[in-house]
Amino acid sequence: MIEVLRAGLCDLVMDRGRPGRGAFGVPTGGAADPAALAAANRLVGNDADAAGLEITLSGPALRFPAGGVAALTGARFVATRGSGAAVAWDQTLVLAAGETLTLERAEAGCRCWLALGGGLAVPPVMGSRSTFLPASFGGFQGRPLQAGDVLPVGGRGGEVRLLRAQPPASLAGKGLRVVAGPQAEQFDDAGLAAFFSGNYCVDSAFDRRGLRLLGATVTHRRVELPSQGVLPGAIQIPPDGQPIILGWDGPVTGGYPVVAGVIAADWPRLAQLEPGDAVRFATIELETARAQAVARWKIEGLG
Amino acid sequence: MGKPKTSRLYLKAAPDPNATWRWVSERGLRLATGDATLACYATLSLLNFPEIEDMIPADGSLLLILRRGELVSADLQEALAVPLANTQATTGQLHEIAVEYGGTAGPDLSALAQQAGMDAATYISSHSAVEYTVAFLGFQPGFPYLRGLPPALHAPRRASPRVRVPKGSVAIGGAYTGIYPANGPGGWHIIGRTDAVLFDPQREAPALLLPGDCVRFVAA
Repeated sequence: MIEVLRAGLCDLVMDRGRPGRGAFGVPTGGAADPAALAAANRLVGNDADAAGLEITLSGPALRFPAGGVAALTGARFVATRGSGAAVAWDQTLVLAAGETLTLERAEAGCRCWLALGGGLAVPPVMGSRSTFLPASFGGFQGRPLQAGDVLPVGGRGGEVRLLRAQPPASLAGKGLRVVAGPQAEQFDDAGLAAFFSGNYCVDSAFDRRGLRLLGATVTHRRVELPSQGVLPGAIQIPPDGQPIILGWDGPVTGGYPVVAGVIAADWPRLAQLEPGDAVRFATIELETARAQAVARWKIEGLG
Repeated sequence: MGKPKTSRLYLKAAPDPNATWRWVSERGLRLATGDATLACYATLSLLNFPEIEDMIPADGSLLLILRRGELVSADLQEALAVPLANTQATTGQLHEIAVEYGGTAGPDLSALAQQAGMDAATYISSHSAVEYTVAFLGFQPGFPYLRGLPPALHAPRRASPRVRVPKGSVAIGGAYTGIYPANGPGGWHIIGRTDAVLFDPQREAPALLLPGDCVRFVAA
């Protein structure tokens, strides 16, 4: 088990999510960068679909009464260990009995993932241990962690292997690549020019449901249309013309025109945007988007 | 020759306005299914194509979400080429939902009735006389968009949404009536409340109502 001494801004139990429930109004959800969580899981000897923590902007202080194996991937946070040892990202960490792991603010980027040997053993809900905040279910009691919480950890067999992971190079890229959306032709040339050549800024209205952008106003010919199915990365233009990028826990249907969609290969970049960040869009062809290989993390022995 | 149109510049391939397929992103294939949306959803559910991760029926369209890295298979392409009008939707289950209309349970009922030019009792009997069909679920888990609202009862959404709509609120939004499964913000007009539990993630079937099910409201 793990004790939460102090909670971060929004620490959520996450795994790969619960795909296949869209017709019930439930999005897949799960870790904002599932490959980063899967890599952290491999570093601690877990199955790739084990549950870990997704930590946003400011992290928790955790105590490991019986010790444990942990790994961090994603954005670098200011972090310390009770033992005084450095907290390395992208590698296996072995924590002594009673040791604390404290994460402060993110140094750059927005989210990191913490995997724990054995995985977080919260009960699965609708086939997943991921927290779904909009309807308060899954994860740890359907909510972000709080001080005093005690998290159950699954059993872990075998010896500890010390491993290191190398993130895919594509994570370092800037900008978001998009393909034209289903209502793209409803926007006039001025609207499209504003959207594609504009500099946007991530608004403080920002969570896993969606991310509001502030910048050039995108004008369009029609405001309301029948509700249509949407998926993460879809960029909706509400009547005020300021784009909204739908996130992992966004609604499954939406009534605003979708000008473009962030390609799946760039969803991990979306996961690292924080309020105040600058955003630009680059349009690519559908076939090019489809040819983007699934980015692979390289895992190798340490030392 | 003039300069290329801005839309050509930014959209690369401009969507074909007549196509029944549209890509929402490279993983989301939106089919214009019209009145055959539920039939198409039922058919594709039965055929269970391995490249489809999720399907979201909506208002006249069906979104297929492909698994990462998967393409539309020849089999799926063939299934989508079959005229949609030939597919039959199976009739879902009929649910009777008890509603407390008006008063504090339905604060917008009297204003809506007035706009529709009827008294509250007539409004309630119009709303409860219809057998509605669950067109799709969206907005919140388990939130049903019910088709069949009499045209006299259609009402545009509220100009400013409420910050908190109580769980179980029966509401009107445009041409639809619906029920809020959980407390939360909402822009529809509230005409009543039910104790029916629309969504419970711990239940074997989390959503009470499924696309294609029928609903009849009973005044409590």
